[in-house]
Amino acid sequence: MPDQEKLKEKAVVAPEAPAADAVPGRLPAAADDDASKYFFGEPLVAFDPHEITGTLIVIEGMDGSGRSTQISLLQEWLESEGFAVQTSGLRRSTLVGRDIDELLAKNAVTRLTLALMYCTDFFDQLEHRIVPALKSGTIVLADRYIFTLIARSVVRGINRDYLSGLYAMALRPHLTFWLNVRPETAFGREFRKAQAISYWEAGRDMSLSHDLYWSFIRYQTMIKREFEAFSKRHDFLELDGEASVSGVNKLLRQRIADHLGIRATKYTPSSALSHLWR
Amino acid sequence: MENQDTAVKAPRPEAVKSTLPQPGRPVPNRAYPGALIVVEGTDGSGKSTQLYLLKRWLEIGGYRLHFTEWNSSPLVKSATRRGKQRRLLTPSTFSLLHAADFADRCERQIMPLLQGDYLVLADRYIYTAFARDGARGCPEKWLRNLYRFAPIPDITFYFRAPLDVAVHRILSGRPKLKYYEAGMDLGLSYDRPESFRLFQARIMDGYDKMVESDNFVVLDGTLPVNKLQKQMRDIVAAKIDLKRFAPRAAEAE
Repeated sequence: MPDQEKLKEKAVVAPEAPAADAVPGRLPAAADDDASKYFFGEPLVAFDPHEITGTLIVIEGMDGSGRSTQISLLQEWLESEGFAVQTSGLRRSTLVGRDIDELLAKNAVTRLTLALMYCTDFFDQLEHRIVPALKSGTIVLADRYIFTLIARSVVRGINRDYLSGLYAMALRPHLTFWLNVRPETAFGREFRKAQAISYWEAGRDMSLSHDLYWSFIRYQTMIKREFEAFSKRHDFLELDGEASVSGVNKLLRQRIADHLGIRATKYTPSSALSHLWR
Repeated sequence: MENQDTAVKAPRPEAVKSTLPQPGRPVPNRAYPGALIVVEGTDGSGKSTQLYLLKRWLEIGGYRLHFTEWNSSPLVKSATRRGKQRRLLTPSTFSLLHAADFADRCERQIMPLLQGDYLVLADRYIYTAFARDGARGCPEKWLRNLYRFAPIPDITFYFRAPLDVAVHRILSGRPKLKYYEAGMDLGLSYDRPESFRLFQARIMDGYDKMVESDNFVVLDGTLPVNKLQKQMRDIVAAKIDLKRFAPRAAEAE
């Protein structure tokens, strides 16, 4: 996602803005003016952002930062407050979700192709699930967003501007939380989940180290550096992912309640989720 | 068809020196010793027939070449099929899926073969995406960025046939137009042949706009097949140093 300055720079170098009215099916020129308010770059094809009445809340963070736990808890809390909630995450699209799983399992694809498959997965979910939900006033909790996708490709050597261009039509979230943890903490949490560390979360395709632990640490540190840069540019709400689940959850609820204009009520998870409450 | 005997020819010195940019960056001119010839045009413009004849000419001459087609990577086949059957594809995902398919072929076939000093013939290339996805409403800037990693062709032939001729050629030879092929997703018309016609007209506009900016060599698709092929071969022979791709054995004769 080009930040404002970069956008301006580009506009000076290449004033090649395509005529919006030349292509029917595109948004009218008027909507292009405030496109950057809703999108990272240009507007999504045939979609009017003014129809959005819901809220898009993104939770980012490395493997083992506690994203999924917090999303389960937030969903329960929001539903108990009477809000409709929908979740999204990587590789969950009907179009290519399973194909990506297969590609990852076989490790038979180049990094550029994989990046484009992830991008397809993202836009399929954005257009078929996220946008319709937002139009109906639903709160969408996104487990990761374009930031993870861009960071993963950037550390694998794919050009940053290219990736920003790919995701230019992505909707800007209303709130983006970043659960920041140290890779060393994340390693322990991830290992405990499956009693193993997977090939991809250790970045083993990058030949960083033959040692699994160091491969994981080095890879996740690279990703973390990308997040640090994003955090400043895109107003991430950074939370200490090392804090207790209930502590992090309280801060999340306060910020979300504030955004939704509701009172931050007390919350304790139901018995179904109480095992998460540490 | 690659000629196995000549494939081991030692790379030329500049090929060894050349380094490719990081993925997603434009490929600089002459970053590789091979050459890329592309045909573009609407359905029914005669481009595939002509490229086939060009390929036969070069094959018979024993030149080192590789032929590649748009939308042919096995990688995204199941996704494309699923997307089309269930009509899941939107302008953006349609475009991205084709880009993933092209990236796979580009990184696994086209670029390595260009680096390995091959003549690569492509039936449709990135301009198909620019014209087709542009007709579906994808922003031009976004599309241009999406395919930034593609090497620029040495020659791009654009086969131009009047809309009526092209549409007639397709409609008379095909029992039923498919949903996306006819551009039904654009909602231009409920009548498939009519929708196809309107869609093709938009695509043709897209191609016409690229003639200058992308250095298309425009050929008249209504000419007799053999005349058109003669023009094509003359242009290839004039623009590309074909000797470089000739087999060693032929040089010795």
